[in-house]
Amino acid sequence: MKTEPREIRWHGLGVSEGLVIGRVLRMHNGTKYVYRTTVEEAEIEHELRRFHAAVRLARRQLTAIKERAEKELGRDHAYIFDAHLLLLEDEKLIGDVEQFITEERINAEWAVKVVSDHLLVVYSEIKDDYLRERGSDIEDVVQRLVVALSGERPKQSSLSEHSVIVSHDLLPSAVAELDLEHARAIATDLGGWTSHTAILARGLGVPAVVGLRDFYRRARTGDVVIVDSFRGDVVLHPSPQTLEQYQTEVASRALGGRTELAPLETGPVLTQDGVEIILRANVELPAEFDGVRKYGARGVGLYRSEFLLTRLGGMLSEEEQYAAYVAVAKLAAGEGAIVRLFDLGGEQARNSLSESERNPALGLRAIRFGLRHEPTIRTQVRAILRAANEGRLDIVLPMIVDVHDVQRAREIIKQEQVRLAEEGIPQGSVRVGAMIEVPAAVLTAEKIARTVDFFELGTNDLVQYTLAVDRGNDEVAEWFRTLHPAVLQGIAQSLKAAQQAGIPAIVCGEMASTPVYAALLVGLGATDLSMTPSSIPRVRRALTSIDSKSVSRIAAECLSCATANEVEELIRDRFGRQWPDVFDPDSLPLPKG
Amino acid sequence: MVERTLRVEARLGLHARAAARLVRVASRFRSSLRLERCDGGATADAKSILSVLMLAASCGTELRIVAEGVDEEQAIREVGELFAASFEEADPSVK
Repeated sequence: MKTEPREIRWHGLGVSEGLVIGRVLRMHNGTKYVYRTTVEEAEIEHELRRFHAAVRLARRQLTAIKERAEKELGRDHAYIFDAHLLLLEDEKLIGDVEQFITEERINAEWAVKVVSDHLLVVYSEIKDDYLRERGSDIEDVVQRLVVALSGERPKQSSLSEHSVIVSHDLLPSAVAELDLEHARAIATDLGGWTSHTAILARGLGVPAVVGLRDFYRRARTGDVVIVDSFRGDVVLHPSPQTLEQYQTEVASRALGGRTELAPLETGPVLTQDGVEIILRANVELPAEFDGVRKYGARGVGLYRSEFLLTRLGGMLSEEEQYAAYVAVAKLAAGEGAIVRLFDLGGEQARNSLSESERNPALGLRAIRFGLRHEPTIRTQVRAILRAANEGRLDIVLPMIVDVHDVQRAREIIKQEQVRLAEEGIPQGSVRVGAMIEVPAAVLTAEKIARTVDFFELGTNDLVQYTLAVDRGNDEVAEWFRTLHPAVLQGIAQSLKAAQQAGIPAIVCGEMASTPVYAALLVGLGATDLSMTPSSIPRVRRALTSIDSKSVSRIAAECLSCATANEVEELIRDRFGRQWPDVFDPDSLPLPKG
Repeated sequence: MVERTLRVEARLGLHARAAARLVRVASRFRSSLRLERCDGGATADAKSILSVLMLAASCGTELRIVAEGVDEEQAIREVGELFAASFEEADPSVK
């Protein structure tokens, strides 16, 4: 293995802009396949030694991680690694594996897997939701052991400078925990533009390329890698020539000084014909808070509160939530912030509260979860109402299907308002809005509009549910078409319903972050958009260059199209022709082969 | 042999972090320490984290703690203190 490794390229989807040259840091959180082999009687001793060596290695790794966590995150967070260490010392776990190797004459990997599977089955029967989820700690430790047995070395402890996080599929919580001082880029096998990993990476300004299929398998920790999310390319073991070429580009991009050096405008956003468009910020992590003021956002249009849970692990008390909501209200200042009630379930639920469902996107999630687990929603509502006394806050209800969902949620909010008043606890007034993100809500939008104070259109979920396409599934990525005429119809219809009822409507999906899509949204009748803060300057520039009448005409044409391809072609043609200086060809939808 | 009945007051129950603290404390003693669910559900060795986690003791669960050995008195006292503090570390700076 002394030969120089050859340069290999992968092409994926760049979901967060940037160009980084760094070293691979593999993060294992996918399942490693384990095979069963029988071993000779004489080999059993060897197998046991391998197992003990793997346990020692895993312990050394965990000790280092624990020490680092104590330093960087505080002792409270480090304790979870203490639990992992104790699992590795547990006589029952160790003893069972040894016994299995000896009695069944099998390889250590298989013994570890069988013993842990058995434990996980016992765990999955635990009644308490939170404790049952702790099975993931066992999985984590087992994964580490299996990796240690394979001889690979995940050096989590040495997150050196210019680390490129390489993973099969990075959980949102793992992104949230990244050491941003050192993690310079992310490259994953799975994921798409609207996966939570992508949204978080954009929010944190970490370049990311996803959808690389088999990159994780081929990359080794410490390998030199180039992540070019402008082109969606990842280059492993770059040749000296390639390296030099990219180094020059990194240097010239730094000199060209992208958005950072341009003075940021913060006044009202007016189209050429004087229509004012409000641009707000979507936020979830405190790291994104800086961007809200820096990029001139008019308050927080969407605060994804469930990220409080994935970051801190487990449900938060009313006081903890209260502090978080006050912070958001202060950040948003006079413009106010809209807190979306926990949008739990689906992909977030894998590491938080609900048990596994066959079809989580259609399951017990968002407002359904809240209505089923009433104490959770009541605690959250109380915390928001109290925090609203410190600054302007509104509540938006996620995944509303019809008026009935709204009524049930509003009833709970009202009861908590009354209770707070009776207890003499100060509270502020809040407006209550509905997320319009499923087709049923679009079709009954006129009725829903009469029962709420505002609408928020979540375009990511609207695309997913309208087109019946799982947004995280790479296999069906070609059917995930934001510009599908059915989606545009849904948006137009919802905006119209809001307008007729005289209530505001904010479009808050990722769609609003792309300048040409934002312009199209204005054409469909939107005047209030909420997006990743760092996208605001680009969107502002586009919207102040167009006029609302022209984009309305283009939008009307799009609405009469039959397919997403037709819409994309039309947009490419119309926008490219009318505003060639504003929308360069690279920023427009690509023509389909 | 000494025994005491305690309630799990920690909001999230005897989860991994709390269990880790319990096991660390229990392991300091030479006495054996056994935890039994008062509802008769399960029994655990307080020095094995796996065993403690398998108790699935959520908030409000009542446990009987049985200590046996030379330092049984002190063992049960310290474990009792841990339960009383909801498995938080004694830290004067935290209210």
